[in-house]
Amino acid sequence: MKKVIALMLTVALSMSVLAGCKDSAPKDKKTDVKQEYSTVYSEELTTLNYLVTASENEFAVAANLVDCLVEHDKYGVVKPSLATDWSVSSDGLVWTFNLRKGVKWVDAAGKEYAEVQAQDFVDGMNYVLDKKNNSETANLAYSVLKDAEKFYKGEVTDFTQVGVKAKSPYVLEYTLKAPTPYFLSMLTYVCFMPVNGKFLAETGDKFGTDNKTLLYNGAYLLQTYEPQNSRVLVANDKYWDKTNVFIKKLTYTYNKEAATLSPELFTRGEITDATIPTASIDEWMNDPTKKETVRPIATTFYTFFYAFNFNPKFDVKYQPENWKAAVNNLNFRKSLFNALDKTAAMTTAEPYEPARRLSNTITPKNFIDIKGVDYTALGSLAKTSSTSSFDATKAKDFKTKAMEELKGKVTFPVKVVMPYNTSSSDWTNRAQVIEQQMETLLGKDFIDIIILPYPPTGFLNATRRAGNYSFMECNWGPDYADPQTYTDPFTSESNYSWISLATDYKEANGKGKYENMVNAAKAEILDTSKRYKLFADAEQFLIDQAFVIPYSLGGGGFIASKLDPFTSPYSPFGVSSSKFKGQKIMDKAMNTATYKKGFDAWQKARSEALKVAANKK
Amino acid sequence: MLIAYISGLCDDLIVFYKDKWGWQQLLKYSLKRLVKSMVTLFIVISVVFLFMRLMPEEGYFGQGYEKLDLVQREAILTNLGLRDPWFVQLGHFYKDLFHGDLGTSITYRPKVAVAEIIESKIFYSLYFGLAALVIALIAGISMGILMARSKNKFWDKLGNGYIVFISAVPAAVYYLFLQLYVTDIFNLPILFNKSNPVSFILPALSMALGPTAGYAMWMRRYMVDELNKDYIKLARAKGLSNKVIMRKHVLRNAFVPMAQYLPASILYTLVGSIYIESLYSIPGTGGLLVDTIQRQDNPIVQALVLIYASVGIISLFLGDMLMASFDPRINLDKQGGIR
Repeated sequence: MKKVIALMLTVALSMSVLAGCKDSAPKDKKTDVKQEYSTVYSEELTTLNYLVTASENEFAVAANLVDCLVEHDKYGVVKPSLATDWSVSSDGLVWTFNLRKGVKWVDAAGKEYAEVQAQDFVDGMNYVLDKKNNSETANLAYSVLKDAEKFYKGEVTDFTQVGVKAKSPYVLEYTLKAPTPYFLSMLTYVCFMPVNGKFLAETGDKFGTDNKTLLYNGAYLLQTYEPQNSRVLVANDKYWDKTNVFIKKLTYTYNKEAATLSPELFTRGEITDATIPTASIDEWMNDPTKKETVRPIATTFYTFFYAFNFNPKFDVKYQPENWKAAVNNLNFRKSLFNALDKTAAMTTAEPYEPARRLSNTITPKNFIDIKGVDYTALGSLAKTSSTSSFDATKAKDFKTKAMEELKGKVTFPVKVVMPYNTSSSDWTNRAQVIEQQMETLLGKDFIDIIILPYPPTGFLNATRRAGNYSFMECNWGPDYADPQTYTDPFTSESNYSWISLATDYKEANGKGKYENMVNAAKAEILDTSKRYKLFADAEQFLIDQAFVIPYSLGGGGFIASKLDPFTSPYSPFGVSSSKFKGQKIMDKAMNTATYKKGFDAWQKARSEALKVAANKK
Repeated sequence: MLIAYISGLCDDLIVFYKDKWGWQQLLKYSLKRLVKSMVTLFIVISVVFLFMRLMPEEGYFGQGYEKLDLVQREAILTNLGLRDPWFVQLGHFYKDLFHGDLGTSITYRPKVAVAEIIESKIFYSLYFGLAALVIALIAGISMGILMARSKNKFWDKLGNGYIVFISAVPAAVYYLFLQLYVTDIFNLPILFNKSNPVSFILPALSMALGPTAGYAMWMRRYMVDELNKDYIKLARAKGLSNKVIMRKHVLRNAFVPMAQYLPASILYTLVGSIYIESLYSIPGTGGLLVDTIQRQDNPIVQALVLIYASVGIISLFLGDMLMASFDPRINLDKQGGIR
């Protein structure tokens, strides 16, 4: 009996070995890298309805499922997408787009539903501007289209009066409130996306609740959608530009601990890319094999700055009235402005090369330019953008002046309330670094920084929006290609730092000087050069009078990724940068040296491409 | 929900009480209980409803709040019904509830029916909860019996060691250790994946560890108590075999106090273990309540509170019934000591 068993086991063993041998096919000399992307995520989508959402997460998905009138190529140059060409009337109010013919709407199974036509853009806008649909991006649309705001508020009930019309099945016309030279850059935003009216009416409230209640005309379809489990996108076979879609399948797997587990999963070869958490960067950089698989992530156009609150509403024990009196003194603000060591603060989040993320202006470099001159190099802003604000001598100088001027009016040390979000370990460290650094430099007889931890849930409601801070790190992202977008946090309607309540800046018309400067710039619609210069002057004023301390750009950090970053569509705003169209997967991850070389080459190519595009106009 | 409650109640009681209580007494008792439960439910749900509406309004908008203007915010809040006076909102909620409508989600997954969202998750929580419960009951009770029989000897000491360890070490610690080391040794997947049947095992086992210790400890204690009682001495004197004594008398009596909590344990599996579900990435109802409170999705929070409160009330009632069915000395209606 034992012999029989032993014989059988031997046979089974040898069979499995032989089977193993047979399975391995002869290796190709040149193996094509499988163009399938996979990753893990921890933040689930709440909806697929791209006409109502304002979540970046959801924009990124919509970008791959639905195309816009225009798109951006890998240098950020505007290219035709659903529109083949366009023109503007001489008064700058009417934009006419000729649509591409033969583009189809398909359902989740890839079956054709209808053709994409001009009416789809009108129906999309109608849905967005209809108040009952709760669209969170409606205000972007009604800030530019004629009578759109009136329709939203219910003052106009006939949608045909609103400035969007289908002149014919393939001709779409937008009529604007006022000439808006940056209108084209707004079109890659979700509120301007098309939708098939018939399908929308059929699905009603259920539109966008899962992948079957959605139509697709973009590079990918949503084949599987299981919230808290996974989603799979596959290349759209009927896509008008399918020759430029190289990655055929995108698999997203839900994982609550994605941030911590993804580097491990990447090492095992299970996913295509993984962002390295700040805490693990050292470990990866010190391991020679791992170091070769990481590269820096580019900075984004999100701007971070430290704001001084002119409307303090915090606990009486921190003396808000005292802070209010101090912050209204220019020398007091300037002393803090020059005292913040931005490099030291940045090292908490970006330990390798902190300088690449620092910014001396609110508007980032390379955002927009006039005839090749970057916005941050215009007028008086030029000197500010290239000079670091950190200057210990100046800081102490202003401190002396401030203490003299405020003697008797303000109790020193002034309590400075600085809240931070505890869910970010970087920010927690940074708050402590800044407190120590500034108090040491300026002396505890001048300021007493009190850092207050707050939980992530309702963080902004509890701090910035409630005026519950003296000095705090804030951020803002752009919506379109015009300097106006970076002035929004500082208007009198915003809930950032209530600059309009500063006491010394009121002008004859009752408004603050900064506000008047910005309004004058906004009014300059025709001469773009003059408009940008006026905005640059206003921003220079904002920084010079130390209302805010520009701090850094978003993005940064390190990523282990097999995606070729220089094949991705690029744009500082809108959804183009989230598209997988055009992207390619490499056989191994790019290392830092290759990335830096590639980035330099890309920047040169980009400025060339932008120049060519500017000359064409 | 109500209909299920009532019919379940009737079935159970008919089986156990036909010979003990008259129909009228039974009906009277159940109706009294029912009315009290309804009042409790009403108070609990209304209080939670009003509390949710005290949360800051900015929480309803998620990420895009900074870019919204005042007109938009007002429009959205009005459409969500949040601008109506509180009694109007409460009225709408109860009206929908009587029609069996639990409402639609507002921020978690907008426009999707709450029932649909909960349905898709409840299966996972139920599976793991029930699997863990079954494992814990079988393992725990067997262990308790073994420990009682070998009192102060080897198995008893081993069992005690296990119970002490589980009680002293925080669950979070041993759950994590299990996940990291067991998956390594046995080559199991770290995360739950519904298409991989092997990944169903470890979470259930981990969840069973704590309750096993609990059942073992209580079982041992009650059995030791019973074994010391006079009637057991009589049974032995009468000549009954150990096996018969254990099965017919000791076990049955020892189980009575535990029976009271059995329905609760079963029904609370619906709630899901928050920690295990987050550790293994299981899409259950465990994290749902916390998530939806943070996101201020009022309809889902209300529906979950309704379900959990009902679960609590029903399980208490069933527990009482079950306990009474095991022990004829217990009389649910009258006040009074042991006869």
